[in-house]
Amino acid sequence: MPEGRRRWWHHLTTQRPWLVTLYALVLGFVVGALVIITTTASVLDAWRAIFSSWSALGHAIKLTFDVVGAAYRTMFTGAVVNPRVFWHAVTTGQGWTYALTPMSETLTYAAPLIIASVGVGIAFQTGIFNIGANGQAILGGVAGAYAGSLIHLPTFLHLPLTLLAGILGGVAVGLIPGLLKAYTGAHEVIVTLMLNYVVAALLIFTLLSTALQQPGQQNDISRTIDPSAQLAPLFGAASGLRVNWGLAVAALVVVFAWWFLERSSLGFDFRVTGANPQAARASGINARAVIILVFVISGGLAGLAGIVQMAGTTHYLDGGFLIGNAGIGFTAITVALLGRNRPGGIVWSSLLFAGLGVGGRAMQAATGIPLDLATVIQSAVVLFVATPVLVQEIFRLRHTEAGEVRLATSGWGS
Amino acid sequence: MSRGDRRGVRLGVWLGTASLVLGSLTLGVGSLTAQAAAKPFKACVVTDTGGINDKSFNASAWKGMQDAHARNKNIVVSYLSSTSSADYVPNINTFVHRGCGIIVTVGFLMDTATQQAANAHPTQKFAIVDDAPQHLKYHNVLALQYETDQAAFLGGYLAAASTKTGVVGTYGGMEFPSVTMYMNGFVAGVRYFDKVKGAAVKVLGWTPAKGTCSLASCGGTGTFVGNFTDQTAGKTITANDFAAGADIVFPVAGSVGLGSVAAAQQAGKGHSIMWVDSNGCVSDAADCSWFIGTVAKGVEASVRDAVLAAASGKFHGGTYLGTLKNQGTALEYGGIPVPASVKSAIATIAKGIMAGTISVNPNNYPAK
Repeated sequence: MPEGRRRWWHHLTTQRPWLVTLYALVLGFVVGALVIITTTASVLDAWRAIFSSWSALGHAIKLTFDVVGAAYRTMFTGAVVNPRVFWHAVTTGQGWTYALTPMSETLTYAAPLIIASVGVGIAFQTGIFNIGANGQAILGGVAGAYAGSLIHLPTFLHLPLTLLAGILGGVAVGLIPGLLKAYTGAHEVIVTLMLNYVVAALLIFTLLSTALQQPGQQNDISRTIDPSAQLAPLFGAASGLRVNWGLAVAALVVVFAWWFLERSSLGFDFRVTGANPQAARASGINARAVIILVFVISGGLAGLAGIVQMAGTTHYLDGGFLIGNAGIGFTAITVALLGRNRPGGIVWSSLLFAGLGVGGRAMQAATGIPLDLATVIQSAVVLFVATPVLVQEIFRLRHTEAGEVRLATSGWGS
Repeated sequence: MSRGDRRGVRLGVWLGTASLVLGSLTLGVGSLTAQAAAKPFKACVVTDTGGINDKSFNASAWKGMQDAHARNKNIVVSYLSSTSSADYVPNINTFVHRGCGIIVTVGFLMDTATQQAANAHPTQKFAIVDDAPQHLKYHNVLALQYETDQAAFLGGYLAAASTKTGVVGTYGGMEFPSVTMYMNGFVAGVRYFDKVKGAAVKVLGWTPAKGTCSLASCGGTGTFVGNFTDQTAGKTITANDFAAGADIVFPVAGSVGLGSVAAAQQAGKGHSIMWVDSNGCVSDAADCSWFIGTVAKGVEASVRDAVLAAASGKFHGGTYLGTLKNQGTALEYGGIPVPASVKSAIATIAKGIMAGTISVNPNNYPAK
């Protein structure tokens, strides 16, 4: 065996964090394939019939690959690019909107997810488990909706004001568990989790009983924010692509988070507190200030995610805003976990989650397999990432010289 | 075999599986294009966040699509569920690009998204349930609306004629016009009974406001759960109504009404429930003996007819108004026997409502 190839093989069989994530991804799709196979009636019928004739086994195998293949193919072409449509656009110059829509949609969904996940990731790195990002994002959206629809200003003032209102809305919700933890020691997991319900009820209240409700409506729908407060489509409204300036906001947040965590002294204090609270206290770091600041930053980013979601897509709120499966604040927890709480990793995991959701929709439309499959894959991937030992056993990976891969979830609740 | 080799074999198997999966991605391309020859008519529905299993109007719309397929096998139906309002636009666009003959959208929340898509695609046909977009450029949208207060009026009359205690109750999921319209009609029916029979049956849970009731605005004060999912709250409200002397309760709250059924079962014989939307003796057959009737809304039939019309080239944009006359809303009897005299009285009243001689506005009758 040539030396080069052996080294390549060695790389693929040695445990490294990014490799575990990659294999977790493969396993996630394998689990998804099993779910498709076991829930598709035609495939199951084909397998039941394999003893009836000689060709039945071949048919069953072919059908299995056809069905799973069609699902994952439409998922890919729906989330990234459809080569045929793209080639058609390149050769004829027509249909660029259609060709670029999948990518545009994935980026549209990824932008607020990136922002919220960076906020959750910063908290994680400080050893704080902020499960309240969803409530913080909802109030960010509500505060932004007030500023965007009830105040009227030119764009260069209105848009920043709306985004700022969103941030402040998130900070307001984030400060409650922050102050409670800093001054009374109340556990942030309980407080942030419960606040989500409080804020969800508050959302309905503001939509049904305050000036935010759309005039002439009794339903739970808000006023539409002014065009001057909206995040405009990146390529203009005429492009027909929804990807908007929220993506630029997300990019700024990622750069800020990287600088903050890696280059600023406050970020260093944060990480030291996360790694070893006792040592941090001994070295003179004000733990109370760090806790409060973490919640200000984490809550503020969640609030920003909420307003980016609203100002970039629907431009109004309704009673289902970030509720249930749409709760980006909850998704952000798993995205941050998958991205190992680092801004760069979070960008990739956000794109993956957004792509699975967007591609899942195309898959459902084309094959009838429910969109929930995307959730199954997302969950399976996170499950495998959270249990590196399992991945290591399945793929028989060598340990690195540095030792075990650190559990991504370690430190929670400490 | 050394440990290192085994490791290699295991990895090889996994990579092999992965490559087979990836390989099949490219294999299937040909088979997809081959299907297009039969030229089926695609009917597509974008559901609200409830999804097609919500046992409420999303489920009814999907059932209507399947009924259309059952009548015309050339119609192929598919659906996309939305997880939030941000999904409406891409979901509709996905179906526009897939060449759907008609796209059905469900609920007032999809008003803006449906309207934008309809104005951007003049040749694309749409139908929207429970809503009427106001700023359409073309005649490519059929708005499906239902005057449910007409059937609820009959329901109110039936409840008033059947109560032994002289008290009936109602409550809603959330205070939306599509919900309060039922409650308003119910109160009107009770008040009408009181007027013509000289009775004094009381309604708990809804006091209509002055003015008329429409799907855009139907005001008043009453009891609401705050959602369409909390059955425990439905049970508590119903038990409270029973404790306050009521023996018939009309929940307008989707599956929350199952909590009312549980409360009636706990309270025992003599207590009953008026079901809503789709016949309780079909959707919840096991509890049929607790239903005095159902105030039904013809979402299924109207969606089915819209799809069939579009498939046969007879689609016309505009508004479909479900009334007693076209059976877009109806009172259906449940498992509890109703005297023939009451049934014939209700049939006469229904004719009066259809003819416009009987008003369903509760403000036209004295409140007791």
